[in-house]
Amino acid sequence: MGKKLGSVKLGSLYTDGKVRNRREWRGVQDTFYDYTRWLGIMGMLGKFMMKPNNIKGFLRYRWMKNYLAVPMMIDRHTQGLRGPQLRIAHEEFDLVAKDVALLLENLFKGDRNTGNNKEFSDKVVLMDENEMTAVMMGFPTLKGLSRETPSVYVSVLLNQHAAEHYIDIAQEYGLPGDVCPMPETEVGVSIADDFPVLGACAIQCNTTCDGSLLGNGVISNRLEGRDGIPCFQLAAPLRHREEDVQEYAAQEIRNAIAFIEQHTGETWDWPYYFECAKRVNESTRHRQEWLDMNKTDYPQVVGSNLALYNETNYMAICGKLDAFVQADRKITALARKGYENKTLVCPEVRHRAIVWGVQSHYYMDFLIWLQNCWGILPLTDMLSMVSTRIIAEEDTPENREQAYYDMAWLTENMIMRNRTHGGYKVLLDELWQFCEEFNADTVILWEHMSCKALTGMHGQFEEKARERGIHLIWVSHDLFDPRIISRQGVRDQINRYMRTVFQEEPIDPSLEVLNDDNSW
Amino acid sequence: MKDLKHLLYFENLLMEANNELVQKGIEDGNKCIGVTCENIPEPLLNIPGAFSVRLRAPRTGSMDMSTYYLTNFLCEYSRALLERAMEGGYNFTDCMITPDGCTMMNRCIENMELLKTMDKENYFYEYLEIPMKGDDNGLNLYVVQCRNHIIKPLKEKFGLDTSDEALRKAVEEHNKVCELIRAIGDFRKEDNPRITGYEFHILTMATYVCPKYLLIDKLAETLEELKTREPDYKKNYRARVLVVGSEVDDIDAIRLIEESGAYVCCDRFCYGSLPGRNPIELNDEEDVLLQICRHYLNSGQCPRYMDTPKMKNRREYVNALAKEYKADGIIYQQMKFCDPWAYERMMGTHALRDQYHYPVLSVDRPYAVGTSGQLRTRVQAFVESIEIKKLQGGDK
Repeated sequence: MGKKLGSVKLGSLYTDGKVRNRREWRGVQDTFYDYTRWLGIMGMLGKFMMKPNNIKGFLRYRWMKNYLAVPMMIDRHTQGLRGPQLRIAHEEFDLVAKDVALLLENLFKGDRNTGNNKEFSDKVVLMDENEMTAVMMGFPTLKGLSRETPSVYVSVLLNQHAAEHYIDIAQEYGLPGDVCPMPETEVGVSIADDFPVLGACAIQCNTTCDGSLLGNGVISNRLEGRDGIPCFQLAAPLRHREEDVQEYAAQEIRNAIAFIEQHTGETWDWPYYFECAKRVNESTRHRQEWLDMNKTDYPQVVGSNLALYNETNYMAICGKLDAFVQADRKITALARKGYENKTLVCPEVRHRAIVWGVQSHYYMDFLIWLQNCWGILPLTDMLSMVSTRIIAEEDTPENREQAYYDMAWLTENMIMRNRTHGGYKVLLDELWQFCEEFNADTVILWEHMSCKALTGMHGQFEEKARERGIHLIWVSHDLFDPRIISRQGVRDQINRYMRTVFQEEPIDPSLEVLNDDNSW
Repeated sequence: MKDLKHLLYFENLLMEANNELVQKGIEDGNKCIGVTCENIPEPLLNIPGAFSVRLRAPRTGSMDMSTYYLTNFLCEYSRALLERAMEGGYNFTDCMITPDGCTMMNRCIENMELLKTMDKENYFYEYLEIPMKGDDNGLNLYVVQCRNHIIKPLKEKFGLDTSDEALRKAVEEHNKVCELIRAIGDFRKEDNPRITGYEFHILTMATYVCPKYLLIDKLAETLEELKTREPDYKKNYRARVLVVGSEVDDIDAIRLIEESGAYVCCDRFCYGSLPGRNPIELNDEEDVLLQICRHYLNSGQCPRYMDTPKMKNRREYVNALAKEYKADGIIYQQMKFCDPWAYERMMGTHALRDQYHYPVLSVDRPYAVGTSGQLRTRVQAFVESIEIKKLQGGDK
């Protein structure tokens, strides 16, 4: 038990309840570092609760109670980490936590049910969850806020059971149980009147799937019909790799910007846009460097460290906050150091894996479990394989025109939708290219059972993996609903494959079977 | 009522995808274009030298193979089509033109392509991006996509005439069929109608799956026959219903509803006549392709249209139809596992009940409903509830 990777039997920390029985001992230096960061998070929570609007929000919105689990959520994602990976994780997760806290604060400030600051609310543009916020890159005085992110998306990351209540509401209202639980939960929150109500207008988008597109209709019905908040539906093309859709996509961006200008009275600011574009490009270069490192024998930014941070930085931030570029720089510095020192991420790397498909939100720390339990290193995941195109960043007349196409490109290539839409090549064929590039012998294929875009390629994945001699391990789940497949149910699918096909024993047997059904 | 002279003939056309008229159309030297979605403008596929066949999988049995490829979470329509394609059931087609309408249909066709299910040499697939909003930008996209993925390949690969004159001719033929169907469908407005919903459904479906030029005579004859057809002495339904929702190409679906005591007075579903069989009005000033696309954009009732005006219009349109056809209630149906219609059914059901005050039966169903006892029971109960409301003088 101590400084060395794998020296703690991590399963011994689990209890049958919500939290672990104690913190992990990682040697003096790493434990001290981890503990101080934990104190920092606790301090942030304390400060957050000092503000009256936030207290009101906490009491008004059922999903807010999930935020009690923030420290635990970060702990789950740092299990077993040491040295640079522990620091990378904290750089990322602590910043994301801070950003979500700020988002909540802003929501409650403008929310008619809590802060009711109309002047502030008039400067808010509501954005969809899972939506690329590129159309806000030229509005420095406006706030693009997503209500779905804290109420739905982050809530499930914090507490695996967070969405169940809202899923049930949507189904009681008449929605069949076979649709994707993510838009279903959003619809449930809307029906239950559990979204903060604010904003001068809203920009919705056909983000990842048919469900998300149609779920927006339920939300806009309420926003426009009852709350009087006008909505613009930004229709990003599905066949995003085709040349003949790009003009349409760019025009959608122009129309969205005009809509925002009309409803907020603000005008598009080109210098600010290009300032953001520079940051987008810098973040892209950093991400590319991490991915390049992951193609070597010494990957450094892997698993949740790559996936969760990238989701926030790529779409929600999209160059608008300098803090994320600064974090990128720190992460790259840590990763380079780790790489130079040939630091291993987990005690033993038995398999190099690409994680594909849509990950289970109620078990996001599954990736770190793969490393710790079985030595499967998740080199990258589908949601992190987004656009690496460098966008125009100098303010010239030509680039101002190009910018619409760049924003359209980013919007088309939102996380998840850039793979779930666009034809089978982006979902199926490119997976095998990545396996080759990353020298991966295994694909962990999340089968989100309600995701029709993924399951519609089920047979093709199997056949093509077999042809290429790649181990493809299906991991079925229901995204937001652990009542359908529990966390242990998820783990069992890996356990079975590892024991029967690979005929291996776990690196940390204490993690193989855990009773975490009640855990946050 | 006396049986319609050609009903059996039309029914037989629907027993196979590769039916008698399809074979005749191919023998006549036409190219046969497979299509799966109402969002593809039909006249563009029916220019001289070509005809379209909207794919169905009549008499679907096991879907085991397609379920392996698509899993059992995809709708049965997409699975039935893939299964039939793997069996070689669509080898009579020369190409497939399909939009990214819904994800499941897209995956179904992609699997057909990847599995090399079609055996004709130089067989090709075209996928279209079609608009999701009914605005000018959407119209521009529609035109570009139809030009690049329909007009261009038909001209280059089959050497077909795709001139404005050819398009106008196709629209003319399309309109002839539409006018006949509309005229036949209007008899459903009668209090004691001289055509059943089932009979009308059969006639309408045939127009989607056969070369149109081979159908016109028999449709015209049927219309003439209907003009003098004597309805039953006493009307034999207990409630008039409007059927709304997702794709219905099962010949038993409407029959099952009518056997349960309802009369299907109007059809607002894919493969139905409204709005699919509304004639296309062309003027002489504007580009023909633009006008065709605009017709489809404006009349489209697909739930994938995500902008607020289109969403509202879908419910207003159903209300207008219910009034025009004097529906007592609405059956809002959705094929199981269809995401777009799942949401639309939920929203539409609430809007039609709460805002427009119709009794609404909201159900999901399998692809082939002929033996569905559950659906039969639901419809029977719905009809009874409408009757009770009428007796008690309740809401509509």
